[in-house]
Amino acid sequence: MATKVLICDDSNFARKQMARSLPDGWEVDITFAGNGEEALQAIKAGQGEVVFLDLTMPVMDGFETLENIKVNDMNALVIVVSGDIQPEARQRVKNLGAIDFIKKPINKAKAELILKEYGIL
Amino acid sequence: MNQALNVKVTEEQRDCYQEISNVAMGQAADLLARLLHVHVILPIPVVNLLEVNELRMALSGIESSNSVSGVCQGFIGNGISGEALLIFNDASFNDISKLLKYGGELDTSLELELLMDTANILIGACLRGIAEQLDVVFSQGHPIVLGQHVNLNDLVQANNYRWSKTLAIEINYKIEGFDINCDLLLLFAEDSIDSLNEKVNFLLED
Repeated sequence: MATKVLICDDSNFARKQMARSLPDGWEVDITFAGNGEEALQAIKAGQGEVVFLDLTMPVMDGFETLENIKVNDMNALVIVVSGDIQPEARQRVKNLGAIDFIKKPINKAKAELILKEYGIL
Repeated sequence: MNQALNVKVTEEQRDCYQEISNVAMGQAADLLARLLHVHVILPIPVVNLLEVNELRMALSGIESSNSVSGVCQGFIGNGISGEALLIFNDASFNDISKLLKYGGELDTSLELELLMDTANILIGACLRGIAEQLDVVFSQGHPIVLGQHVNLNDLVQANNYRWSKTLAIEINYKIEGFDINCDLLLLFAEDSIDSLNEKVNFLLED
């Protein structure tokens, strides 16, 4: 069964960059979201087993999205992919239940490393 | 006579500039956060192709009624040139001097020092971040003070641009829990936009 991967970022370029960075040969079914609200809908619809989530976004940012996932006990492994590399941002997202944090810009090596580390791949 | 350049930025390119700026501003904010031991609130960068005389309108992050101080610094490399502007709301200096534990009275010369120090960090890191992603190298000129305790209009007009259009990237930094607010503006020269677009197209095709 293909893994349901959700990529949430307000930038179309960033979404494509993320999709291109997924490991070759990993069987995935990719859904895209442009903000946190769209991401929550996709997760509810079962499209987000693994979620790559940006932080700075309009409508609903990544922090709020994580809070919603946590409060509603939604089933999703969330990896934050962000340009906000301040130590506090990293700590906050981990406290909110994200399994890890990848610094932008994303690339294949970073994505593969983290997916292997958590046994997703 | 200058030939009118017909520069354009597509929506796809604008989105790419915004994302590149997002990554670069995060790197710059991280340095500032570590220096001041604070959390910097990151905005969504605003990217616009605009007439230089519309520049004032692009500065949405700072209230026009506020007294401001600012510096500018030119940069050039790989056929791309422009200017970086850093503009502080003057009320910010009080908290910055406390955070940096500068002793003594806050006067114009200490404010200038704070302005230059933060400009050095934010402008340098942001330009480096953008250059790295575009695979270019920028050399930076000396920072020039545009004004201290002036109004925003006077500050923006203090700089005379030889271009009519500019690709402007505005990043408004705020610091959580403190009254610190500054605008970092990267202005790319009109005749650089084609070269910039080429670099961005390369990223988009990748």
